[in-house]
Amino acid sequence: MAPTRKYMKAAGMIAGATCLCLTAAGCSSGGGPASTQTKGVTIKATMAGDPPPKAALDAFTKKTGIKVNWTTVDWDSLQTKISAAATAKTYFADVTDVDWSRVGQLGKLDWFYPMEKYLNTKKMAKDMPQMDSFTLDGHVIGIPEDASFMVTTVNKKLFAKAGIKKMPTTIGDYTKDLKQIKSKGVVKYPLNIPFAAAEGLSTYWYQTTGAFGGTILDGKGRPQFTSPDSAGYKAAQWMISALKNGLVRPGSINVADSEGQQTLMAKGTAATTFSDYSGNVGSLYNIPKSSTVTNQVEYIPTPGATGVAPNLNNPDGVGIPKKAKYPNAAAKFIKWLTSAKKEADFAGANGKDKVQPGYFVPSRLSAMKELTNSGHLDQGKKLSDMLESSTKPVFPQGAPSWYPEFSQAVYTNLHAAATGSKTASAAIKAMSEKAKQLASGS
Amino acid sequence: MGLALIPAAFTIVQSFFTVQPLNPPTRFSGFDNFRRLFSTDAVISSIGNTGLYIVIGVVLSTVLAIFMAVTLQKNFFGRSILIAIMVLPWALPGVVEGIVWANIWNSNTGLLNSLLTSAHLIDNYQVFLGQHRLLTILAIEIVQVWQITPLSTLLIMASLQNIPNDLFEAAELDGSSPWATFRRITLPLIRPGITIAMVQALIQTLNVFDQPYILNGSATAGSSLTMQTYFISFQNLDFGEGYALSLLMAVATMVISLGVLKLVYRPVEF
Repeated sequence: MAPTRKYMKAAGMIAGATCLCLTAAGCSSGGGPASTQTKGVTIKATMAGDPPPKAALDAFTKKTGIKVNWTTVDWDSLQTKISAAATAKTYFADVTDVDWSRVGQLGKLDWFYPMEKYLNTKKMAKDMPQMDSFTLDGHVIGIPEDASFMVTTVNKKLFAKAGIKKMPTTIGDYTKDLKQIKSKGVVKYPLNIPFAAAEGLSTYWYQTTGAFGGTILDGKGRPQFTSPDSAGYKAAQWMISALKNGLVRPGSINVADSEGQQTLMAKGTAATTFSDYSGNVGSLYNIPKSSTVTNQVEYIPTPGATGVAPNLNNPDGVGIPKKAKYPNAAAKFIKWLTSAKKEADFAGANGKDKVQPGYFVPSRLSAMKELTNSGHLDQGKKLSDMLESSTKPVFPQGAPSWYPEFSQAVYTNLHAAATGSKTASAAIKAMSEKAKQLASGS
Repeated sequence: MGLALIPAAFTIVQSFFTVQPLNPPTRFSGFDNFRRLFSTDAVISSIGNTGLYIVIGVVLSTVLAIFMAVTLQKNFFGRSILIAIMVLPWALPGVVEGIVWANIWNSNTGLLNSLLTSAHLIDNYQVFLGQHRLLTILAIEIVQVWQITPLSTLLIMASLQNIPNDLFEAAELDGSSPWATFRRITLPLIRPGITIAMVQALIQTLNVFDQPYILNGSATAGSSLTMQTYFISFQNLDFGEGYALSLLMAVATMVISLGVLKLVYRPVEF
């Protein structure tokens, strides 16, 4: 065979392989019309968490005639699947995850049915304080499934070792305590901040900004953290300074939120997490298998600029995609899944056999109270009080439709500032410019 | 053929349109997607990162594959078992490998830090990922090289099997040293295998996604072009720009692959 022909053949093969790669771009296909049928149907629930116990799902099927096929997909992949299916206008699930941060995007794109069409969301909202995180322009995009919020956790034993008996109520006191813990050699790096370039870093900054007494964006999506005396600016500087001053472990630049909680807080190598997840005390720190600090970690009211600060919401919800085959049946399932009785069961109020793995903090106040009264939620009273009185949404006007792009700018820039490839002020400027550009729609 | 060509054509056409579900309708925008790509810092930075992934990955995997193929060509006890073990990383998904290696590179609890400390080579745990761009890319690419080298080795081994044994015997009779035999006989005759190995390594490294995403998150120091395609398309929902970047990557794959062919490939006849 002549060399030229060999080249041509090889080049043809490469071109073929390249074309195959491009098929990933994909084509679209339509889904069938939705059915209002609710009896004798099978609905698909594609969620990021594990399913409720089989017995509970069987009981739901027996009562309603709706069979539920629950599939678990990791959170990141699930968000991609939601986007890909909705863009391709194809069926993917009858019930799926609605994260608070995507409410603006999903609402504007009209990818989900408004839940008020199927459920009495106004009545539900009275028992679900985080319903507003899922509401956009009067429409409820998803029903809160849990009531996750950001909370400060401290290892009281390590604080006590440093001679700190009274827990801090302001950021100033908190920072002073961190320095004291370090200087007394109790732990080398007392504060846990997950500086990996991931969503957890953005969330940490939002909570810290809230503690400094400010918000991230105004009602029109304009940045509120540009000025050096703004809360967001101070919060970013406080986080980066903590790293530079040795209060945070240098290796934290590659530590994601859950990893920091599991390997630093739960092992007693960090004394506190300023922005931790509600429920972690009972689900992680007090579990001997995964923790060496059982009964040492407590929730404290978030230290703020001048006193106790709010706790920002970070919940997941459930909604019905527009291409669902059985939206009415899906709504029945969501009503059942988020009922007070089931939420209390799934969180462990009524026995281990009814627990849904990974489910800790019910979205309903009534379920939270039942759980707290049952004594099965560690420090449930504190969490219950915070949920009722001090939680608030990250974006009071609802997450903007361009939130994912903004969040990426936040965590990549904060990460760059932490690694030293950018100054803190340059990072904040870049975040601010991105917010301005996105808000202006250019 | 239709499965490949129709989506390819669709991608090419759509890359010249603004396809943003948040900003409808879809409309013709000429080269606007391409222009915006080249004015985005993250994309520019990813071009540099991907270039480094390609250079490190292709060179390292090819050199290692040649060494391993030549070593495994000889018959020795346990050879089959060694080949079976060698193939394992190739069979693992990139995500799994990323998680495994994250436990090695981890700056707080990682195996490498633990070993270096035990050996008294370092006093404090070191940060391997995220701090320095080149070190980060090298650490990430080592993980991918670990994955792609087995296939490269098998491809080169297949070429080695084709070389008639008489040639080696004649060289030995002529008093050729092992190095001279390798340089003057083995290497020239396995060039077709090396070419294919290099092209597959090139395609893999140009499309690297799992390893940097798992090991280094979305950090600029380390993010690849494929990651940008994902962010642009599925996070920012700017499909037109995503199509444009995919198209540029496909063209780059073809052009660089042809360059490798031209540079490395030589026809071999026995």
